[in-house]
Amino acid sequence: MGYKMTLLKLAIKSSLNRKASVLLTLCTIAISVMLLLSIERVRQDAKSSFSNTISGTDLIVGARTGDIQLLLSSVFRIGHTNNAVSWQSYLDIREKKGVAWTIPISLGDSHKGHAVLGTDAAYFTHYRYGKKQHLAFQHGRPFHNAQEVVLGSDVANTLHYHIGQQIVISHGMGNTSFHHHDDNPMTIVGILAPTGTPVDKTLHIPLIAVEAMHEQNHKKPMMIGKKSQQNDHAQHQHAEDHNSHHNEHDEHDNHDHLHATLDSEPSDLIGTPQQITAFLMGFDSPLYTLQVRRNINMYKAEPLLAIMPGLTLRELWEMLDIVEKILLLFSIVVVLVSLLGMLTTLLATLSQRRRELAILRSVGARPAHIFALMSSEAILITFVGCLVGCILFYALLIVANPILQSQFGIGLTIGWLTNYELTLLGAIMAAGTLMGLLPAAKAYFYSLADGMSIKI
Amino acid sequence: MITITDLIHTWPTQPQPTLNIQALHINKGERVFLHGPSGCGKSTLLGLLAGINMLQSGQIKILNTDLSTLNNAHRDRFRADHIGTIFQSFNLLPYLNPLENVILGCEFSKLRRKRLTDKKTDVTTEATRLLKALGLKDIVLTQHVSKLSIGQQQRVAAARAFIGEPELIIADEPTSSLDADNRHTFIETLFNQAKDYQATVLFVSHDNSLASLFDRQISLSDINGV
Repeated sequence: MGYKMTLLKLAIKSSLNRKASVLLTLCTIAISVMLLLSIERVRQDAKSSFSNTISGTDLIVGARTGDIQLLLSSVFRIGHTNNAVSWQSYLDIREKKGVAWTIPISLGDSHKGHAVLGTDAAYFTHYRYGKKQHLAFQHGRPFHNAQEVVLGSDVANTLHYHIGQQIVISHGMGNTSFHHHDDNPMTIVGILAPTGTPVDKTLHIPLIAVEAMHEQNHKKPMMIGKKSQQNDHAQHQHAEDHNSHHNEHDEHDNHDHLHATLDSEPSDLIGTPQQITAFLMGFDSPLYTLQVRRNINMYKAEPLLAIMPGLTLRELWEMLDIVEKILLLFSIVVVLVSLLGMLTTLLATLSQRRRELAILRSVGARPAHIFALMSSEAILITFVGCLVGCILFYALLIVANPILQSQFGIGLTIGWLTNYELTLLGAIMAAGTLMGLLPAAKAYFYSLADGMSIKI
Repeated sequence: MITITDLIHTWPTQPQPTLNIQALHINKGERVFLHGPSGCGKSTLLGLLAGINMLQSGQIKILNTDLSTLNNAHRDRFRADHIGTIFQSFNLLPYLNPLENVILGCEFSKLRRKRLTDKKTDVTTEATRLLKALGLKDIVLTQHVSKLSIGQQQRVAAARAFIGEPELIIADEPTSSLDADNRHTFIETLFNQAKDYQATVLFVSHDNSLASLFDRQISLSDINGV
């Protein structure tokens, strides 16, 4: 039918004739579509980035607490862990059948608001994130002794630290610690490449350095809180080792004078810790994972908890579900408001267009044609609005991607629209079409009632 | 051409019939001046003739077609094929240029397009020819319609009514917004076009000074028995 082309042509020309109002409507729709798509894309990518925080780790073991609490403290460095895993248990569980690797982690200290994590060399070889990527060094190398520290990329960036610099790491969590000890400076020997995970905001030190730090504390006359008591214990139990430690310290102090080359001989990184916060485990086969997990959860020597990080991450995300649902709801409301704006404009201009309808009727247009003409205008505006919205969305993605990546560690995927996003656009088109039916129906009845007589 | 018998039309909201015409006959090629004071049912009669309003009782035959036998869609097509209309004012779609406004007269009628093909011409050529024949200059043809004078606009409307040679031209007070000089020239050009293919012209007006230009004068109040 030639009519369809004629009507579409008329709809386009008529819309262009009312440039100002149509353009404004188009803008609101485009912006709302951009907003909806952006929020959805960030939501999806935040979710995948979140679940990529840690990967390749089969179990996380810590003192008995909630699953999510253990995950938050060990992976996200959120919250405090009061209890700890004894070193003895760690050594024991490590020997279980099927264990491929273990990473001990000791948390609880901070440096200018950044978490300090004590660990050993296994951390740099076995810790994985994202799509099972290993940690990479942007500069430098892993630590070799108790006086060396490796920084996450954010720590280095925000504090403007560089390789070779000496820093003092304090004891205790939080920005304002009770006591800094200037007598225990550490040298930055490595800076990790950005990962988009809490690793970026972490300072990594050898376990032995954690121990040494706490012993230093112990020597001070002022003792505060539970932590000091723990140190007290440590002091007693490892009294024999004390001297040898001091010897090591002295050696390293000597080294500091030759720091230009940053060379150091690999030495003991573990020392003789009494407790660690948690440890990560990798297994040769998933079969062992389940078996060892059961064993750990029923461990006799002390109450322990083993969680599978993938599973718990998913549980945690489900808790955040309500927030993302509200975000989605808001962006849908914004789209609806913009479509209602279009409805208002179309209805407002309708009475001025009754003359136009009468002219079309006089040249033989049927009321059905009038209906088609009016509804195709709404469809056209919604369609172009969606199109422009998509263009704006991609523009925003390209601009925002580096910022989100560096600030929040969320890497946006700049790909073709996903099926889900296409479904959203389809729903918007459907809603726009539905809105268009109202002025179209009104025009239909106008054209029936007015006929050819022009009523203004 | 047009035969009306026993036509009675009552609007739903009114107690009395608006129209009651026992018999009216208009021949092919006739140029009829239909006059009467406002409110005497002129618009109603035109609506019925154009097939926009539904016939209630009686009979209207145009070109031997009984309008009462046609359904809504067929009456719309009948109008598109056989009737050209010129309104009192603001005849043109503001978002089409004069040429496109004229072509619009053919858009909803295959028959009128076919007549142009039979004459070995196309819509654009014919629209241009008509506009020029009605005294419009080339540059005006693609100008924005708001830049046209009222006289020019009415000529464009006339060209739209004539394109594709519909048998009946209904002009509803097309000269009321023109000054006296323009009125006469407008009617003359109208007649020239109508003469070309023996179109019937039904010219509705309350301005009796124009009556003498027509073949026949009908007073609606005389034939309307309400």
